[in-house]
Amino acid sequence: MTKEKEAIVFDEFFEMGLDDRKSPFLTPQSRRWGVNLFLKASLLSLFLLLSSYLLALHPTLQPFASLALVGVYFLVGVPALIDSVDDLLNLELNIDVLMTLAAFSSILIGSPAEGAMLLVLFAISGAMADAVSEKAKSAISSLYKIAPTSATVILEDGSRAPRSVKDIQVGDKVLIRSGEVIPLDGVVVDGISSLNLVHLTGESLPIPKEVGDEVPSGAENLEGTLTIRVTKPQAESTVSRIIDLVTSAQEAKPKLQHWFEKFSKRYATTIIALSGFFILALPLFFGIPYTGEEGSIYRSVAFLIAASPCALIIATPIAYLSAISTSAKKGVLLKGGIIFDAIYKCGAVAFDKTGTLTTGELHFANVDFLQGETSVDTLLQAAAPLEEGAIHPIAKAFLSECEERKLAPLPMRGFKAHAGRGLSAEVESKGKWIPVKIGNRAFLEEELTPEQQTLLAEKSDEAKRAGQLIAVMKVGETLALFRFEDTLRPEAKEAVTQLKKQGLHVAMLTGDHRENGERVAKELGIDEPFSELKPEDKLRHVTELSSDKGLVMVGDGINDAPALTRANVGVAMGSGSATTATQAADVILLHNNLERLPWLFKKSKQTRHIIAQNLTLAASVILFATTPALLGIIPLWLAVVLHEGGTILVGLNALRLLRDPIF
Amino acid sequence: MCGNDPVHFKGKDAVGHVVEAQVGGILSKAEIHGEEAPDHIAAGADTARELGLFALLFWTLFYGVDSLYTLFAFFILGWTVWRTGRSAWLSWARLERLHRIVAEEKWEIDHHRDQEREELKALYEAKGFTGKLLDEVIDVLMSDGDRLLRVMLEEELGLTLENQQHPLQIAIGSLAGALISFALTTVGYFTLGFYGVLFAGLFSIGVASGLLAHYNKNRITPAVLWNLGLAVLAWSFAVFLLQAFENL
Repeated sequence: MTKEKEAIVFDEFFEMGLDDRKSPFLTPQSRRWGVNLFLKASLLSLFLLLSSYLLALHPTLQPFASLALVGVYFLVGVPALIDSVDDLLNLELNIDVLMTLAAFSSILIGSPAEGAMLLVLFAISGAMADAVSEKAKSAISSLYKIAPTSATVILEDGSRAPRSVKDIQVGDKVLIRSGEVIPLDGVVVDGISSLNLVHLTGESLPIPKEVGDEVPSGAENLEGTLTIRVTKPQAESTVSRIIDLVTSAQEAKPKLQHWFEKFSKRYATTIIALSGFFILALPLFFGIPYTGEEGSIYRSVAFLIAASPCALIIATPIAYLSAISTSAKKGVLLKGGIIFDAIYKCGAVAFDKTGTLTTGELHFANVDFLQGETSVDTLLQAAAPLEEGAIHPIAKAFLSECEERKLAPLPMRGFKAHAGRGLSAEVESKGKWIPVKIGNRAFLEEELTPEQQTLLAEKSDEAKRAGQLIAVMKVGETLALFRFEDTLRPEAKEAVTQLKKQGLHVAMLTGDHRENGERVAKELGIDEPFSELKPEDKLRHVTELSSDKGLVMVGDGINDAPALTRANVGVAMGSGSATTATQAADVILLHNNLERLPWLFKKSKQTRHIIAQNLTLAASVILFATTPALLGIIPLWLAVVLHEGGTILVGLNALRLLRDPIF
Repeated sequence: MCGNDPVHFKGKDAVGHVVEAQVGGILSKAEIHGEEAPDHIAAGADTARELGLFALLFWTLFYGVDSLYTLFAFFILGWTVWRTGRSAWLSWARLERLHRIVAEEKWEIDHHRDQEREELKALYEAKGFTGKLLDEVIDVLMSDGDRLLRVMLEEELGLTLENQQHPLQIAIGSLAGALISFALTTVGYFTLGFYGVLFAGLFSIGVASGLLAHYNKNRITPAVLWNLGLAVLAWSFAVFLLQAFENL
């Protein structure tokens, strides 16, 4: 069997920063060689470093130990040197420069193994940071894939031509066939159909569209063919607006690493400056010679190595890695350890409703008879054969209700689908063929008397306020209104209760009607429901809650992506969520396991405590080992032992995070 | 694309077929440096050939020196690391250069669409497309960013996509070539001594040249004999000029 060749996607190649993994010049099979190359090099260098330590124990194997160390310097030292030289050429002093300087200086005082260890630790933490930032980049790239890059334009003479969306002007007519995604915002000028917006807004019910209706880019055309007139250029389309919101939300997001960057620059400058100062000052004030093992150069280089934040660098990544690994085992995927820190600082949790607190699957609620009356079972039996081939969520709800009630569908003939409106056929009941129609309000309204139309309007509004979806059905002379509801997740109530027990403020953000929002909030015990929100309103509330209390936002749709990014921490439901939402989020609940949220808060507290202990220990080591060594109060070997001992201690302390939190 | 002959077009549309054919033509015109063999085979064969020549020169020039095999082995070890790393580095450098060219072409497409359209039109006019058919072909090509970039890279710049191997694969090919050739010289040394090394060196050169000729669909016999001749010529220069120098 021949496997279809994967097409080259240049966009991905450019989004990945011209990475080998997506190189258009490499054969598809050989691109795999470029995956996680830096991480692989870091791990290989770690292996070489450990081998070097072991080989050095036996004097005759010393040359092999030296060879292994050269391997470390080659694999991770050369890349570090390249980065540092670039930084220095840009007149920038940072932790990279400090580490590289310390590592390579260590060769001068005969401690290359120390330098190699610095390089390995630094490379591993760098590889982890790269993995996190790559995930952030992919959030934007997935957004670009929502809308197609080309479309069929209807020219003035009526002929059709493919065009890149970049070449489509406002006012151009675009043909959207069934199953295609709308490339640009526009207004329908011909045709009737339904649009699927579930991946854009989380709304599971297809929206009927006809001439005069506006359609957003990114929506999927489900049934008929539509012709739209483009109303906005690509840069102003719905998808571009979402991209702008996500980008600005990412930029606005407060990040602990900014603080780290500032701190590391100052720290690096101070240590490098102090080392330089000691080289000159020690001979001047203490009469110490410049050269030799007791000389100022030797001591200053020793100070530089000992002051390298080895324990600091290892302390946080191991702690985060342990916590991330434990979380992953619980079905909670975190895109970086720093997220634990952000969760720790949050005082509020906000949930999106549809698809997050609810499953997004409809279930039968009740039926109102507008004309005549018969048993619900009879109506369901008549509806079942029409809905069997339909993809509409209401069709699924009809069929699952029939299954639950163990009802067999009636025989059917003359089936017809009316795009964007409904279905019609005849079903056989008691030897007679009876006409059946199921659809939206507009589909059956014209067959109703004015009184029935008024009653239908009232009932529809009532259902809308209750957050219910409706289907109107006519079987013979009987006219009925079916109501369907979204299903609440069974674990949602317990999760909300546990979060509140931890003293967290729980809110819900939904575009639904106020009446329905309040009903769901009451049922789950949510403190503050915000209803009838547009995407912009949602983002405003998220911004306010983020700055007031610190917010963990939980959502699932593409429309949640800006909110997930803007919140201090974004949590996406893993299964069934839009790719963009999972990529914009910091945390993914792999099995939609909401009950893990309270656990995650506890884990973040535990992580924070252990990291605080590690940082104190690491800082103490630097303070109590380096300065005395510089002044000759303790010998250099003891300073090195303390330095390494501190590193090992913080590493072991961090491993405690592999256990569950006990408070 | 109704009416396409699937056998003739090899599962591609007409435009895709034309592109492939033209690229094939451009490559055929180019001077061959072993590009048609998979990169790792080419690198391995080239390394084996070089090591074969080293064996000839080293053993002849240093003949009579103590522990010559040990010296040779460590010299080859160091050289192999260099040659392996260099193979990777060279192919990374080539990739970097090609990536820069793609980025430049994409910038052109994004910022000078009208100009790119004209270039494309000229390319396809030269192929014989005219009138409405030409406009249709250009419309199709311009509508898809990925396809347009691919066509411009292949047609305008004559680059071939998806035919190179990862630098690490090439490096491993090079390493394998060195190890095989070294193993042959070792077997030669321990079986026939000095002459065994010379024979193994020539054998490495011959087999590597034959292998490359086979992949490049060149005639094998001339390739093997020309390369062996070249090796003997190089060896003779070193040996006889040294002899002449010593006689002075």
